[in-house]
Amino acid sequence: MIKAVMVINTQGKPRLAKFFEYLPLEKQQELIRNVFGVLCSRPENVSNFVEAESIFGPDSRLVYKHFATLYVIFVFDSSENELAMLDLIQVLVETLDRCFKNVCELDIVFNYSKIHTILDDIICGGQVLETRSTEIMRAVEEISKLEAAPNAITLIPKSSSGWLSR
Amino acid sequence: MSMHGMRGLSVFISEIRNCQNKEQERLRIDKELGNVRNRFKNEKGLTPYEKKKYVWKMLYIYMLGYDVDFGHMEAVSLISAPKYPEKQVGYIVTSCLLNENHDFLRLAINTVRNDIIGRNETFQCLALTMVGNIGGREFAESLAPDVQKLLLSSSCRPLVRKKAALCLLRLYRKNPDIVNVDGWADRMAQLLDERDLGVLTSSMSLLVALASNNHEVYWSCLPKCVKILERLARNQDVPQEYTYYGIPSPWLQVKTMRALQYFPTIEDPNTRRTLFEVLQRILMGTDVVKNVNKNNASHAVLFEALALVMHLDAEKEMMSQCVALLGKFIAVREPNIRYLGLENMTRMLMVTDVQEIIKRHQAQIITSLKDPDVSIRRRALDLLYGMCDVTNAKDIVEELLQYLSSADFTMREELSLKAAILAEKFAPDLSWYVDVILQLIDKAGDFISDDIWFRVVQFVTNNDDLQPYAAAKVKEYLDKSAVHETMVKVSAYILGEYSHLLARRPGCSPKEIFSLLHEKLPTVSTTTIPILLSAYAKILMHTQPPDQELQSQIWSIFNKYESCIDAEIQQRAVEYLALCQRGAALMDILAEMPKFPERKSSLIKRTEYSEGDTAEQSAIKLRAQQQTSNALVVTDQHPANGATSPVPVGQLSLVKVPSMITTENDTSTDHPLSQQNGALSNVDPQPPSADLLSDILGPLAIEGPPGATVQSEHNAVSGLEGGSDAADGSAIVPVDEQTNTVQPIGNIAERFHALCLKDSGVLYEDPYIQIGIKAEWRGHHGRLVLFLGNKNTAPLVSVQAIILPPAHLKVELSLVPDTIPPRAQVQCPLEVVNLRPSRDMAVLDFSYKFGTNMVNVKLRLPATLNKFLQPIQVPAEEFFSQWRSLSGPPLKLQEVIRGIRPMPLPEMANLLNSFRIMNCPGLDPNPNNLVASTTFYSESRPAMLCLVRIETDPADRTQLRMTLASGDPTLTFELKEFIKEQLISIPTAPRSPAPPAAQPTPQIPPNDPAAILAGLLS
Repeated sequence: MIKAVMVINTQGKPRLAKFFEYLPLEKQQELIRNVFGVLCSRPENVSNFVEAESIFGPDSRLVYKHFATLYVIFVFDSSENELAMLDLIQVLVETLDRCFKNVCELDIVFNYSKIHTILDDIICGGQVLETRSTEIMRAVEEISKLEAAPNAITLIPKSSSGWLSR
Repeated sequence: MSMHGMRGLSVFISEIRNCQNKEQERLRIDKELGNVRNRFKNEKGLTPYEKKKYVWKMLYIYMLGYDVDFGHMEAVSLISAPKYPEKQVGYIVTSCLLNENHDFLRLAINTVRNDIIGRNETFQCLALTMVGNIGGREFAESLAPDVQKLLLSSSCRPLVRKKAALCLLRLYRKNPDIVNVDGWADRMAQLLDERDLGVLTSSMSLLVALASNNHEVYWSCLPKCVKILERLARNQDVPQEYTYYGIPSPWLQVKTMRALQYFPTIEDPNTRRTLFEVLQRILMGTDVVKNVNKNNASHAVLFEALALVMHLDAEKEMMSQCVALLGKFIAVREPNIRYLGLENMTRMLMVTDVQEIIKRHQAQIITSLKDPDVSIRRRALDLLYGMCDVTNAKDIVEELLQYLSSADFTMREELSLKAAILAEKFAPDLSWYVDVILQLIDKAGDFISDDIWFRVVQFVTNNDDLQPYAAAKVKEYLDKSAVHETMVKVSAYILGEYSHLLARRPGCSPKEIFSLLHEKLPTVSTTTIPILLSAYAKILMHTQPPDQELQSQIWSIFNKYESCIDAEIQQRAVEYLALCQRGAALMDILAEMPKFPERKSSLIKRTEYSEGDTAEQSAIKLRAQQQTSNALVVTDQHPANGATSPVPVGQLSLVKVPSMITTENDTSTDHPLSQQNGALSNVDPQPPSADLLSDILGPLAIEGPPGATVQSEHNAVSGLEGGSDAADGSAIVPVDEQTNTVQPIGNIAERFHALCLKDSGVLYEDPYIQIGIKAEWRGHHGRLVLFLGNKNTAPLVSVQAIILPPAHLKVELSLVPDTIPPRAQVQCPLEVVNLRPSRDMAVLDFSYKFGTNMVNVKLRLPATLNKFLQPIQVPAEEFFSQWRSLSGPPLKLQEVIRGIRPMPLPEMANLLNSFRIMNCPGLDPNPNNLVASTTFYSESRPAMLCLVRIETDPADRTQLRMTLASGDPTLTFELKEFIKEQLISIPTAPRSPAPPAAQPTPQIPPNDPAAILAGLLS
């Protein structure tokens, strides 16, 4: 089971945090801080795995990917396959990239509602729900149609490209 | 999307982003929260659009880490909005802000149900997602049939059905009864015939959850899983969009193989053959390629296949193929694959017969110990540790020692512990072992726990040949310029005992050894000084013929420390000085330490414990469960090795080096502490302080053969307490008789009573779990740690611990995890603050699930009145003046008590002492009377002196008159009742509340649940 999904920027600010087991807010923030503390000291070109039991307690694993200014982190228990979780991070990020056409941190900041929708389509109750980013896109677009509102997001400038370098 | 057009929200986010510092951010957020709160207060004027906007703001603020303690109702109410945008916000924000037990959530059940059974597919999806994320027990009970219907419906689109499957999984976790086991197995098998891979992925997750609890029912699913795997592995009928970087849904492949690992074996030969063909194909057909994502995906499948092969205990040929693959992986450039290669090799060690093949890769594994990635270094360390045996121990340990100097700090402790254990387990000879440990202390002294050096002392003491060698070695280390304090400790101990064996060597005269040690004294802390003092005393004793100069030097040191503020040091100084002046008697008393009884290393025990959870993984779980339990479980069930509780093992069972007994305690706690040693009272019924030797020889001299320690400790305890009766087992209160089929091991009441007298031990044990407790009491504060140890090879789930505190205690329990992994132990600290005197008891309501057993026990916590007492010796004049000034009720109460368990007066004094009520001999001229005093600590008042007088009747030992006085009427009453309970009820009398009807008991609020419960229990 996936226990948590986090997106943290390289300054340690949470950009998205979803816990699939209820935790009080202070605990959530503490975990986010601890995870960031470990990740920010990791060099480039190392594995995507980090020892998680000291932070999340026994039977927990953590995989992460580092993209430009963001860390995307999945925490889960031993019933999940680590590499499959890493693949799922990739699915999430590719979906965001399709959604925002070369996504950057600001897209996530100003559209966190959309991110929540996407995440709810990929993971439900800590289990893998959907893995086709085309399908997720389609669902998100369908939802967008239901909202007959003008698009205010175009005001936000795009920044650095090559976000998906790894 | 929901935020489109919400200018206000974007502006707010921008403003937050523009804040220069945390303080500004907080101000901005407080302002916004105030604003939102005001708007919600007058909800009438609020449009759905505004409500939506504010609820999103709340979620944003919450994500930034600010508590949002209002507006939950508004979020929940959006769920029932008729339009999609509001409804969606309601569902999403509710699942983020609320937990399953939130009252508002229950209010929404009907709305949610209407959405689920309604015809709007989009609403169905929203509702299923929320329930799948946060649905609780009540949701399970009211929604399960509807969700099942959706999942099985042929008219529903896959989009809805796959969500229904995961929603059902969540509900099943909350209440397993919603899935009718017999009927559901067929439906589950039917679900696996599904063609849609999305529905199949969700259904497979559901099967994993179901089969992990009860695989037998789901046999019919097994061949279907193999079929699905075959379809994917051969890429037959897999739609393009379900391939990920060319791999047919790696997630489904992985989940399917995971599901197969929950079945112990595959009996049908055809199915088995098909499966092995598929696995073979996966093993052989996977290559490392350039694209990282493709690599990850294909290796996800490959590693899962490896796990399945290990689980199925394949033929030897296939196993060696796996090891060969792993050998390849640990040498590749791709760090993820290297990491998993090492991890899986460690798991592979559990499979028989492959160890020799793995050993061939030793050099490569050692290289990984220097990898730039700490995650990989950790895996390499685990693997080296696991593969070590007598043949390669020397190489591996020396590698670890070498690595220690460059290892990062986060790993040093683990590294040194592992090196120490390997050195002990596989030492080709003991001098090598001593070398290794001393090197460890030298290189990483800060990370060497006391256990490690205690153990080396134990070995040296027990092996005569080793003694001169060890003494010479430690001397070499002391000659170095910078010496770690732990090295000083171990050197002082060993040189004190055995330096005389070196006396003829150059530089090893008693005088030289003494000054070598003594020059370290200014640099060490107060915990080391006592060991140095003991060493001086021993050196002095061994100096034959006596050296006057050395003697006066050492005596002056003792003299100096006679007035030391540290009680332990002071006591030693006083005792040694007195001993030295006895002349010849010194020889006997300070003679060489006796051999330690042989016992299993607590170090080894400790890691066996944790080995359980690192090596144990769900894949091998079932198989391991089927194997007969190994030594680990046995040792922990029978604490015959001197261990009475799971983790305190370190402190309890190891060589109790005398100085360790009192390190942080001041004089006043000296007595109960020595008393806790338990065994003492068997040897010498006098108060421990009267026994000059107790502190040097204390636990050692008394220890008999290994098993006897615990035995005598038990005797001591039951002696004091008068042997608890089995009838008292009623402390366990099954909430529901039918659910509690698990029988506790040992008598719960006995365990509780023992813990009232000592501060660590086992509180509860059954075949699945052991709950140990360790407590520290300081004044009105208590710090307890609960050690929840899973004894099994399967996890304990739905673990819940709730403290029902009585009104007089503030109790705070830290978070207890929901699951305790196999063989793991979880520590949960617990803070207790005593507010007022009361005999009510805190109760731990503990429950967990193992397999289908739901276990719930209510256990009294030993946070009893006596824990907040500190013994105090009151001089006669003060005692009498206090006694007179507390003239009568309610400050001074007197009662004649009958039905006392007959016991001699000294025993009664001991009993009081053990409850930290100190006997003051000589105050009462009548030899049949007993006078005692103590102080009581609570938050509300300063320490309160309590005086006790007990007058016994030599003609009738079953009755006595007790008078109790203190400055607080409640305290007087409660303490009197407390002592009374200890005196009368222990042997046979049912623990009926004894207070006479006339006694008012206003201290117990009638509506306090804990008090009522405690009443039931006592």
